Amino acid sequence: MTPGSTDDPSQLLDVLAGEYVLGTLSAEQRAAVLARLDREPDLRAAVDRWEARLLELTTLAEPQRPSTRLWRRIDRSISEQARQVHPTSRWWKRLGLWQGVSAAGLAATVLLSLALLTTRPATTHYLVVLVAPTDQVPGWVVQASDARTIALIPLGRDQVPEGMTLQFWTKGEQWQAPVSLGLVKPGEQYRVPLRDLPPLEPNQLFELTLEKAGGSPTGRPTGPVKFIGRSVKVI
Amino acid sequence: MNSSVTPFDFQGCLAACARGDRSALQALYDHEGSRLLGVVRRIVRDDAMAEDIVHDAFIRIWTRATSFDATRGSARGWIYSINRHLALNAVRDSRQETTLDDADIVTLVGEFDEGAIWSGSAKIYRCLEQLQPAPQRCVLHAYVDGCSHAEIASLMGAPLGTVKAWIKRSLEALRECMT
Repeated sequence: MTPGSTDDPSQLLDVLAGEYVLGTLSAEQRAAVLARLDREPDLRAAVDRWEARLLELTTLAEPQRPSTRLWRRIDRSISEQARQVHPTSRWWKRLGLWQGVSAAGLAATVLLSLALLTTRPATTHYLVVLVAPTDQVPGWVVQASDARTIALIPLGRDQVPEGMTLQFWTKGEQWQAPVSLGLVKPGEQYRVPLRDLPPLEPNQLFELTLEKAGGSPTGRPTGPVKFIGRSVKVI
Repeated sequence: MNSSVTPFDFQGCLAACARGDRSALQALYDHEGSRLLGVVRRIVRDDAMAEDIVHDAFIRIWTRATSFDATRGSARGWIYSINRHLALNAVRDSRQETTLDDADIVTLVGEFDEGAIWSGSAKIYRCLEQLQPAPQRCVLHAYVDGCSHAEIASLMGAPLGTVKAWIKRSLEALRECMT
């Protein structure tokens, strides 16, 4: 119907991104685009560009004064979340259960998670691809095939300046701040027990930041984000 | 309703939220809340639903402030896109296609044709002006009013396929114009 040009895949991707930002896609199409954003840097970059291009059109909507209740509701919801984030004794108990599971079995689960996907559908598996925020190039994969250990697997070998180190962080949707998972050597696989954290959840943030040797002095990320991604549940 | 906005440090505000500074979120709400609510209200066309969505959006801004990445776009854009996409998700999930009440659409035709709204200095307005009136209205009904293809078609009395083609071509033209 449209003359010329639109058969080009990059053109199609760009129109899809544009329609996503415009808002004309159906609920299913929107969900499909959203699911692709984390793993398709080109699509994400196209969406980002459309967000920037169209942003000023938001000024066409007449401002509307919120009811006096709205801020109080927001404030209350945040307070409630803050309480939930702190681990309670309940999940320490659950941890005790996890500890009953054989360590050898866990290691095998981590190594063979993909193979086990089909044979143990009851376990939740997570996968995260960490990409460089600047060029969206994947650098690491985080793989978790049980709720208490994750493996960080390098896809290449990053250059880290002398006196600096990569630090690994994670943050669940409802957490106040990221938590350090330790220091990572470029090009080397790294395994982390998640014993002090709540179980993994979908859309959990993982990132590697560049910090001074020895790690962030503040306990929070201070350096630039080198790689970032969110967990997706693998069925 | 455009311009004359006192400079507000959106990026600094997100950084403060990421550090857990709740007064920064409140400052954002005080500064931008009514504009965000206006954008969301226009899309969902319901006061209570609009406030629910802005509530959810602020929670999301708070919990995800640490993941804001300035290399991907502006902090202000990030905040607006969270609000808009929550609103769009809500209407696409719940609103029946084609059940469009013309009274809901705030006499858009006249409003969008007034030269006054183009006084915005942003490049997007100059590029929109170069589109034909019908494709131009499609873009605005979609972005500003949150209309689906089918809703735009019924609003404009045009076949669905034509509307889809107008939008596709408009996007191509806008991209060309804005690069």
